Amino acid sequence: MKRVLLCVSVGLMGLFLVTLVQSSGLPLPKALTVRPATVDPVSLRTLQARYKTLAKQLTQLMPTQPYILVDTARNHLYIKRQDQVMLDALASTGSGTILDKPGDSKRQWIFDTPRGEFAVQSRLANPVWVKPDWAFIEEGLAVPKSQADRLESGVLGEYALGFGKGYFIHGTLYTRLLGKNVTHGCIRLNDDDLKSVYRLAKVGTPIMIF
Amino acid sequence: MTFLCATFSVLLSLISVSWAAESEVIPPGDLADSASLQEATRVLEEEIKLAAKPQTYVFIDLVTNAILIKGRGVELHRIPIERWSGSDLSRLVAPRRLRERPQVNRRKIDHTAVTEQDPISLVDMPTTFTLKFAPLLTILVLSNTDGNPWQWTLQQGRVWWSRLTAWGQILRTGVMSPPPPSLNLTVSLDHAQSLAWTVTEGMPFLIRRPTP
Repeated sequence: MKRVLLCVSVGLMGLFLVTLVQSSGLPLPKALTVRPATVDPVSLRTLQARYKTLAKQLTQLMPTQPYILVDTARNHLYIKRQDQVMLDALASTGSGTILDKPGDSKRQWIFDTPRGEFAVQSRLANPVWVKPDWAFIEEGLAVPKSQADRLESGVLGEYALGFGKGYFIHGTLYTRLLGKNVTHGCIRLNDDDLKSVYRLAKVGTPIMIF
Repeated sequence: MTFLCATFSVLLSLISVSWAAESEVIPPGDLADSASLQEATRVLEEEIKLAAKPQTYVFIDLVTNAILIKGRGVELHRIPIERWSGSDLSRLVAPRRLRERPQVNRRKIDHTAVTEQDPISLVDMPTTFTLKFAPLLTILVLSNTDGNPWQWTLQQGRVWWSRLTAWGQILRTGVMSPPPPSLNLTVSLDHAQSLAWTVTEGMPFLIRRPTP
């Protein structure tokens, strides 16, 4: 028993020392780094050329036309062209809240703005909102049977840009909430910024969301 | 002769300008150092595959101490790393995919509630969390606790707890499988929350390792 306790104590002491070294910011042991390979000058030049070719290939994948960048944590939408910021707009993005689907406690809607790369799929002027099921359930209302009962005009602003699966960049009546995570996943902007985005973005314009 | 010298100088400056422009992609470090160049080339090869698809990915650069959120090779967001440590980094060659994003306490919408329900925001995100990947890799993200001994104690407790549970498993099963590669990243509190917010399930992570 004493021997076991001694072993455990020694082990814990060792772990403590490792923790201390890690948290102290001391130089790393060599085992943590990649071992250098000895390369002759010809191989080095080949490697440099390879690096240059690859760097060029990666540069060619970067968008050359304007693209939309959305920061969902800080609620900002940017239009960028290479390093130039063409527009910096305050936005509202997904609230991250959840809503249970009626009659099925295991299934729910999660109101997140999707992250990743998308593209503008549609550009609409004077859009009409086709209210989805959750919009009624959230308000404690019955889901209508008729499609006509789902239509609501004037709530999405003057323009809407669709980027798939029912997600849009659109306007809002609640401009005081810009800068906050309050939406059901769509990206809201004020009227002026929405107009600029509509003008600058075409169908196919990339949208990067993080 | 002067003309030749001038032409040579102009050519040389053009070459260095083109290098500089492309080097911004992933700085190669010392161009004369084969090891760092090999590592930068390996990372570039992997990044080209990731950037060819419509997705965002995370690039952890242990050379320049930064976590970059990228898409199509473009830097979308940068998180500075304050300290890092790791084990078995030589196995970190291929990109890893995140198995699960950090847990967050999401609020449920209740239409019968009389008061306004708060959405989740950055401040709701964890400041210390573990990211697990396939193939095997564990990244422990810690927030800087300088000047906050209570936070430091909590974090160290978490680190120790994960080590003790690993030990416990070995003692229980009697099997000592080699531990997966692991990385501990210390960032500022805000940046830890920002990273927890940004990462999504299945997101690819690419890591550039330092050379001696």
